[in-house]
Amino acid sequence: MPKNKNRIQEGSMAVDAALIILMAITAFLTLYPLYYVLILSLSEPQQAATMRVYWLPKGLYLGSYEKIVLDPKLWRSYLNTILYAAAESAGMLCICSMAAYALSSKRLKGRKVFNIYLLIPMYFSGGIIPLFLLIIKMGLYNTPWAIIIPGCFSIWYTILIKSYFGSLPESLREAAMVDGANCYQTFLKIYLPVAKPILAVVALYTLIGVWNEWFKSSIFLTDQRLQPLQLYLRRILVEQTVDLSQEFASQEQLQADMERRLSSNQIKYSIIILSSLPMICIYPFFQKYFVKGVMLGSLKE
Amino acid sequence: MNKPSIQRGLRSPLFRENLQLYSLFLPLAILIFIFNYLPMWGVIIAFQDYKVGSAMFALDGSIKWVGFKHFLTFINSENFVRLVGNTLRLSVLNLLFGFTIPILFAILLNEVKQFRFKKFVQTASYLPYFISTVVVAGMALSFLEPNGIINNFLAVFGIASKEYIIFPDYYPTIYTTINVWKNFGFGSILYFSTLSSIDPALYESARIDGANRFQQAIHITLPGIQFIIAVQLVLQMGSILHTNTDLALLLYRNSTYATSDVIGTYIYRIGIEGGKYSYTTAVGLFMSVIGITLTYITNRISNKMTGYGLW
Repeated sequence: MPKNKNRIQEGSMAVDAALIILMAITAFLTLYPLYYVLILSLSEPQQAATMRVYWLPKGLYLGSYEKIVLDPKLWRSYLNTILYAAAESAGMLCICSMAAYALSSKRLKGRKVFNIYLLIPMYFSGGIIPLFLLIIKMGLYNTPWAIIIPGCFSIWYTILIKSYFGSLPESLREAAMVDGANCYQTFLKIYLPVAKPILAVVALYTLIGVWNEWFKSSIFLTDQRLQPLQLYLRRILVEQTVDLSQEFASQEQLQADMERRLSSNQIKYSIIILSSLPMICIYPFFQKYFVKGVMLGSLKE
Repeated sequence: MNKPSIQRGLRSPLFRENLQLYSLFLPLAILIFIFNYLPMWGVIIAFQDYKVGSAMFALDGSIKWVGFKHFLTFINSENFVRLVGNTLRLSVLNLLFGFTIPILFAILLNEVKQFRFKKFVQTASYLPYFISTVVVAGMALSFLEPNGIINNFLAVFGIASKEYIIFPDYYPTIYTTINVWKNFGFGSILYFSTLSSIDPALYESARIDGANRFQQAIHITLPGIQFIIAVQLVLQMGSILHTNTDLALLLYRNSTYATSDVIGTYIYRIGIEGGKYSYTTAVGLFMSVIGITLTYITNRISNKMTGYGLW
């Protein structure tokens, strides 16, 4: 990225210094909460329980990590999230790019009607209750399909890909047709390879969406074995009904009750770190893609 | 319609091509029909007495029609004022802070000259967006505990420890802070990109005319991002009755209903958990109608005042 020439120049030193301090505080406020959780998860259980560990871990204790790593329920829900993410991303890319190709073709008869068909649901929706009843009536309730099928298409992403296809020269399509390629071949061999950047954006956004999602899963999946990671996290981090010392009791039945409570509290911090780590590690490398996604999205608004 | 250049007067290639295109569009069309249009049709249960096990979205009278009964029940219930009030309060707070902070942040950070530092702050600001809502809520709950970091910090100023999450008075602050923290960085991306597209020559000539930094910000930077702000504002107004239900469901509890119970959480609690499907569908429909009306009105106003809008 070239140096930005647009910033307002000729400011005084004092203003510059104030800006830098203000921005440093902002960066601190965004980063510190997670860092704080990290050092709590690494400190001695007694120190962590006081929550008075501010800059560096007090002592070093990996016991809570050991306990959660050995919990099969965590890995089960992790696996579910990965499966849902893979299925939804794959479905999303196929279904949306296919439809986008069709809609971007100027020779498609009835384009206007199809566009309206796509636009209406963006302004009107039946709400969550009719959707819930529909899922039950279709027999999808408490099956992975209740999450995967509604999650593998998006009107918004279709419009995004369509506008990308639309920005390609129409002569590309005509040249392929002259060479005797049919629609499927033109789509697969010419349009899809060119659209890689926008497909990466769509895949990334779908992944973030699946990773974050818990509300619909909590409604549609009551079977714990099917639930994604976020619902496992909710049981442990938010719903105080789950007694952690019991969840992990098998390991430490012989230990004193007090100590058990201390370490079970610390398990929360370790789980936060362990579950957030993958996303935190990869997002800086995908920055250009989500920045691109936001910009493309705003153009069509 | 454009005249196809390779049609050569034959209708059949064009017809075959259209069939192929329809087949590509078909999967999406079917999914949209099932998961978007059928639920829209399903709102008719708002005018019926739908019971568990009733036929799906039937018109034939097998489900009793009750007209606007559910709407009137909702409007006349004591919940109505509380729910609408809470939803509006949280939305307005989100508009005041959640909407303006990303703009301010983008403008201010854009002024920083140290490129690497700027890049670092920007990347850091995106981080909370990639932490899941459940984890963010879990962290907040832990920080707000009586011996948590917030109370420890406030103790430095001699403020006695309190379990803030159970008091309705503090809920709006907690909710708004978390919302802003999680989303401000990601929300600023749009403004960053727009700022970098402002023509540098404008600043050049402003400086020649003797404009100082603040004046340049008011007369060049702000007008430069004005249309993006207008469009975002219209979008926000349309969703003013939709608060972040995901986050609210994780943070609210019985003792804070006075300020924390919003339309989204109410529909979830009474509808999904309580099984009052017809009643909550009516509540949802009522709110969407108001939301669409608001979008329409703000769009008209924005078009008049700034010349920009959604349509």
